[in-house]
Amino acid sequence: MSNEPGDRKRSLQRNGFVVRKERFYGRLIAATAVLTILVTVGIILALSGRALTFWSAVSPIAFFTGTEWSPIINETYGVLPLLSGTLIVTVGSALIALPIGLGAAIYLSEYASNRARGVLKPALEILAGVPTVIYGYMALVYVTPLIDGVLPFSAQLVPPGVPVLPEFTFVMPSLRTFNALSASIVVGIMIIPMVSSISEDALSAVPDSLREAGYGLGSTKFDVSTKIVVPSATSGIVASYVLAISRAIGETMAVVMAMGMSPQMPYFPNVLRNLAESSQTMTAAMVQIASADSLGGVTYEAMFALGMTLFGITLIMNVLAELVRRRFRETYQ
Amino acid sequence: MSEPDTPKIETTVQGTGTSETADSIADRGRTVIESRNLSVHYGDEQALQDVSMKVPRRQVTAIIGPSGCGKSTFLRCINRMNDLVDSAVVEGELLLEGTNVYDDDIDPVALRRQIGMVFQHPNPFPKSIYDNVAYGLRIQGITDKMDERVQTALERAALWDEVKDQLQKSALDLSGGQQQRLCIARAIAVDPDVLLMDEPASALDPIATSKIEDLIEELAEEYTVIIVTHNMQQAARISDKTAVFLTGGNLVEFDDTESIFENPESERVEDYITGKFG
Amino acid sequence: MGTENETTEDLRRTDGIDLAQLRGGLFEASLVFATVVGIFALAVLFGYIAFDAFQPLTASARWYLLYFGTLVAPTAAYTLYVRRRPAARDVNAKAFGVFFGSLMLALVTYIVASALDPKDVFVYAIFGAVPPTLVFLYARISDDRTYTGPLVPVSIVGGLAAGGALFDVVRPIVGIAQEWVAYFGFVTLPVAGILGLVVARRYAAKSTAEVGVADDDWRTVMGRQAKYRGGLAFGAVVGSTLVVVVAALVNGIDPAFWVVIFSGFVVPVAYVVGQTVLDDADGRIGVAGPFVVVGGVLVGAIIERQFAIQGLESFLTPNLLLNSWDGLNASNAGVYPQIVGSIVIVAFMALLAFPVGIGAAIYLEEYAPASGWGGRLATLLEVNISNLAGVPSVVYGLLGLALFRNALGFGTGIVFSAAGTLGLLILPIVVVSTQEALRSVPDSLRQASFGMGASRWQTLRNVVLPEAVPGTLTGTILALARAIGETAPLVIIAVATTRYTPPEGLFSAATALPLQIFAARSSAHAEFRHGVVPAAAVVLLVLMLLMNATAIVIRNRYERRS
Repeated sequence: MSNEPGDRKRSLQRNGFVVRKERFYGRLIAATAVLTILVTVGIILALSGRALTFWSAVSPIAFFTGTEWSPIINETYGVLPLLSGTLIVTVGSALIALPIGLGAAIYLSEYASNRARGVLKPALEILAGVPTVIYGYMALVYVTPLIDGVLPFSAQLVPPGVPVLPEFTFVMPSLRTFNALSASIVVGIMIIPMVSSISEDALSAVPDSLREAGYGLGSTKFDVSTKIVVPSATSGIVASYVLAISRAIGETMAVVMAMGMSPQMPYFPNVLRNLAESSQTMTAAMVQIASADSLGGVTYEAMFALGMTLFGITLIMNVLAELVRRRFRETYQ
Repeated sequence: MSEPDTPKIETTVQGTGTSETADSIADRGRTVIESRNLSVHYGDEQALQDVSMKVPRRQVTAIIGPSGCGKSTFLRCINRMNDLVDSAVVEGELLLEGTNVYDDDIDPVALRRQIGMVFQHPNPFPKSIYDNVAYGLRIQGITDKMDERVQTALERAALWDEVKDQLQKSALDLSGGQQQRLCIARAIAVDPDVLLMDEPASALDPIATSKIEDLIEELAEEYTVIIVTHNMQQAARISDKTAVFLTGGNLVEFDDTESIFENPESERVEDYITGKFG
Repeated sequence: MGTENETTEDLRRTDGIDLAQLRGGLFEASLVFATVVGIFALAVLFGYIAFDAFQPLTASARWYLLYFGTLVAPTAAYTLYVRRRPAARDVNAKAFGVFFGSLMLALVTYIVASALDPKDVFVYAIFGAVPPTLVFLYARISDDRTYTGPLVPVSIVGGLAAGGALFDVVRPIVGIAQEWVAYFGFVTLPVAGILGLVVARRYAAKSTAEVGVADDDWRTVMGRQAKYRGGLAFGAVVGSTLVVVVAALVNGIDPAFWVVIFSGFVVPVAYVVGQTVLDDADGRIGVAGPFVVVGGVLVGAIIERQFAIQGLESFLTPNLLLNSWDGLNASNAGVYPQIVGSIVIVAFMALLAFPVGIGAAIYLEEYAPASGWGGRLATLLEVNISNLAGVPSVVYGLLGLALFRNALGFGTGIVFSAAGTLGLLILPIVVVSTQEALRSVPDSLRQASFGMGASRWQTLRNVVLPEAVPGTLTGTILALARAIGETAPLVIIAVATTRYTPPEGLFSAATALPLQIFAARSSAHAEFRHGVVPAAAVVLLVLMLLMNATAIVIRNRYERRS
C-alpha cells in the first residue's frame, strides 16, 4: 500500500456507483414503509367518501338516535338497535373474558412452573387462532342447544313475605335459535388470549425486587400477587382489557352466525331476555347489506357509514389503550 | 475485478515470522493518526474536549483513564463508528496519513475497511470459523487465495494451531478467549493499517488475558495498535506510548509509557496512577 | 425469658385450619380453573365437531382394535423408544418435517398449478427463472460482484415482464407439449438443481473439515469433486423422474400428478432418509417415525378392505375433498373448489403482502433514524401500524371494496381483490413480527460488521437477515394461518359463497373454504348441519393447526439453538 497522501485520500473517497446503489436500496425499503401509511389513508378515504354521501341523504341525527334499523324493507337507518346489539355481546363476552383472562395471566406469571407455562401458553394461543366462522358455527349448532337443555330456568331468590326486600324471581327464558348468549360465550372464549397474553406480559415485567420486598416483609403469595404485582401492572392489564373489548366490538362472523340479523332495541327491565333473543350488531348489519346484492343506493352507502362509526370507535379504544399503557409505564420504573 | 471503490490490498503472504526492512524501521514512529482539536458531544453531554495527539506507526498506544472519560469515544472517532449514533456531533479534525477522515467526500465504509476494530465483548458472527475470518475479505470482493489469507490471519492471531482442523465448526463453540482471538484474526485478515482495540481483554479470564497481551505485542510489529484499557498495569506492560484521559473527555497527558508511569508531569495523572481516584 | 418462648411459639406452624393458607389454596385453585376453563370449553366444542364429522359410533369394535394394533400401538411404542434418545428425537422431528412438509408443498403446488393451467405457470416460470440464473452464472465466471446484486431482482421483474409481453407467442409453442412436461419444467428441474447444490455444498464443507484448508471455498472455487457429485445428484433426480414418466405412460396413466409427487415429495424424503441413514449412526432410527405412522394407516386400510370390517361412516371422505358442493346429496358434497380457492388466494396474498411488510419492518428497525424528522416519521409509522392491527376485519373489507372494485374497476369478488384485501389485513402482523425478529439480533453483531467496513446493506444481507429468518418465518406462517380463516372481508367484497369450479386465474371469481361453511350454516338437512359442514370445518381446522404447529416448531427449534 502506497503511503502517498494523495493515494490514501483517493482510496477513502466515495465511489459514485456504490453510493447510488446503497441509496437506492435505502429508498426502496423506505418506500415499502411509506406504503403502510397509505393503507390508513386509504381506509379513511374509502370510508369517508361514501359515509359522507350517506349522511347527506340521511341526517346524522336520525342515524345516531333512530331506534329502527330496517334498511332494506322500510329504509329506516337508526343505528341504536345495532349499537345495543354490539353492546350486549361486548358486555357479555367481557364478563367472561376479563376475569378469566386475568386469572390465567396471574397463574401463568406467578404460579405456573416453566413446564406448565410451556404447555398452557400455546394452548391458550390456539383459542385465538380458531377461525371465527368455526366459533360461530359451534355456537349455533352446539352451544345453543346445549344451554337450551336446561332452560327455561327460574329461581325465586327473594320469596314473597320477606320484610324490606321486594319479591324477586330470577328468570332465564329459553333461547331462540339465534341468541345473544351463545354469541357472547364464544366471543368471550375467543378473546381470552388477548387479555391473558398482554396481562401476563405486564405482570412478568414487574421487577422481582418488588416481590422480594413483599416476601421479605412476611407476605403470603396471595398477598404479593394481589396486592403488589397486580396493582403494579395495572396499566398493562387495563390496556389488555381495552384491546380485547375493541376486538369484541369488531367481531363479525361469530355474531352473525350465532346471533342472527334481527335488529331490535333492548328489553327493560327483564335484562336477561336480551340474552335469549336475537339481535344484530353493527358488523352483522354490514354483512347483511353486502350480501343483499344491492350494489348502489343509500343502503349501500349505509354500510360505509356503519364502517366509519365502527372504525371511529375502535380507533379511539386502541389509542386509549396505548395512552394508558404509556402513561403508567413510567410510574413504577 | 473487485468493487471499484476498494483499494487493492496486496497481502504479503508470509509465514509467521516477519523481518523488518530498512524502510519499515524508519517508518516506525512516524505519525499515522493525528487528531487536531477533536471534540465530540452527544446532545448536551460533552464526551471529548479538544483532544490533540499524534499516534505513531507500528507501536502500541494505550489510552487509559477512569470510566466515562471519552476513551472509547476517541477510539470510535478514528473509524467514524460514532456516525452510527444519531446524536453525536464531531468537531475538529482527525487525520489518517494526512487526510482528514471527516471531510465531506470521505466514505466511512471505505475508511473502516482500512482500519480494524476489536470490541470489548467478543462478537463473532454465528457462522463457521472460516466464514468469520473470510467475512471482511468477501465484502470487499477479494476472492483470490482465500484459504491462504484465512490461514495467515489465524496464524497471526495465535489461533491457527487450535482450530486448523475444525474450520467449519461454529465460531460460537469456542471459548471466550478463543472467540476474541478469532475477532482479532477477522480484523487483521484484510490487512488494515491500524488496529483499534476497545478493552479487548476486560471480559476474559487472566490466562486468556495474558495470551491476548502477548498477541498485541506481536501484532505491533505489523500493525499500528491503539488500545483502550482501564487496566493500568496492562497499559504499563504492553504499550509504547500512553495517553491519559480524565473527566470531561480531556486528554491530560500523552507521552512514552515509561515517562507516564514513572514520572508523570501532571498531578492529576499522578493521583490517578497511584490510585487516589478512579 | 417469657418473651423468648413467645417468639419461638409464634414461628411454629399452628395446628388446625390456617385461614390464610386456605385462602391461598382457594385462590390458586381458582386461577388454575381460569386458565384451563377456556381450553376445556374449546376442547368440548371441538369434540362435538369431531363427533359429527367422524361419526365414531358407526365403526365396529373390531375396527378400533384393528387400528389400535396397526397404528396406535406401534406409534406409541416407537415414541417411547425414541424419547430417550436425543439424537434420534432430532432426526425424527426432521423426518416428520421433511415428510409432511414436502408432501403438503407438492400437493399445494399441484393443486394451484392445475387450477391455473400448468402450461401458463411453466411459461412464466421460465421467463422468471432463467434471467437471474444467467446473472448468477455471469457473477461466478467474471467475478464482478458490483452490478450483480441489484441485477438479480431487476432480471426477475424484467423476465416476467418479457414473459407477459411474449406470452401469446410462446404459449402456443408450449401448448404442443404434454402437460407433464410443464410440471417437469417447473418442479423437477428446480428440485434437481437444489438437490445438486445441496449435495455439492455438503461435500465441500465435509472435505474442508476433514482435510483442513483444502480444496474448497465452495462459493468461489467449488472443488471439482463437489461439482461432480452435485451434477450426479442433478442427473439422478432428472433420470429417475423420467423413469416414473415412462412407467406411467406405459400403464396408461397421466404422468402429470406423479411427476410432481415424485420430484417434490419422494425425492426430498429419499435424500434426507438416505443421507441420515448413511451419516448419522446414532440418530438413524429416527427416520422411521413418519413411516411407522403412514405404514400403520396403510396396513390398517388394506386389512380393513380385505376383511370387510365395518369402518367409520365419517363425512371426511375423498368426496369431500375432491367434489364440488351438492346441496341435495350430503355424501356427494365436496369442497374442492373452496380448498383450491383458499390456497390460491392466500398464495397471491403472500406474494403481495410479504415483501411490503418485511421491507417496512427492515426500514423501521435498520434504516430509520432515531431522532429528528426521520425519527418522527418512523414513530408515526409505528403508531400507524399498531393502530391498523386493531381495525376490525370488516373495515378492511370496505377498503378492499373501495379500492379494488370502485377505484380500480375490477369485477366483484375476484381472486386478485380477495388476495389484496387479505394482504392489507395481515400487513401489520407481518411488520410487527418481522420487527421483533430483527430486534432479537444482538447489536454487537451489527457493530462488528460495521467495524469491518461493511455497508448497511451488506450487514443486513450477510449478518442480520440470516439471523432473523426463523422469527420472520414464524410470523409469516402465523399470518398465513390467520388469513386462511378470515371470512368477513371476503363477504364484504362480495366473494361468491358457493361456486362449483375452482378459480382459473387471478381475475376469475374466487371461492374460499370458510365462506362455504358460513353459507351452509343453517342448512335444513341434519346430515349437512351435523355431518358435511363439521367435516369441512375439520379440514379448515387441520390446515390451521398444521400451520400453527409448524410456526411453533420453528420458533422453538431456533430459540433452543441460541
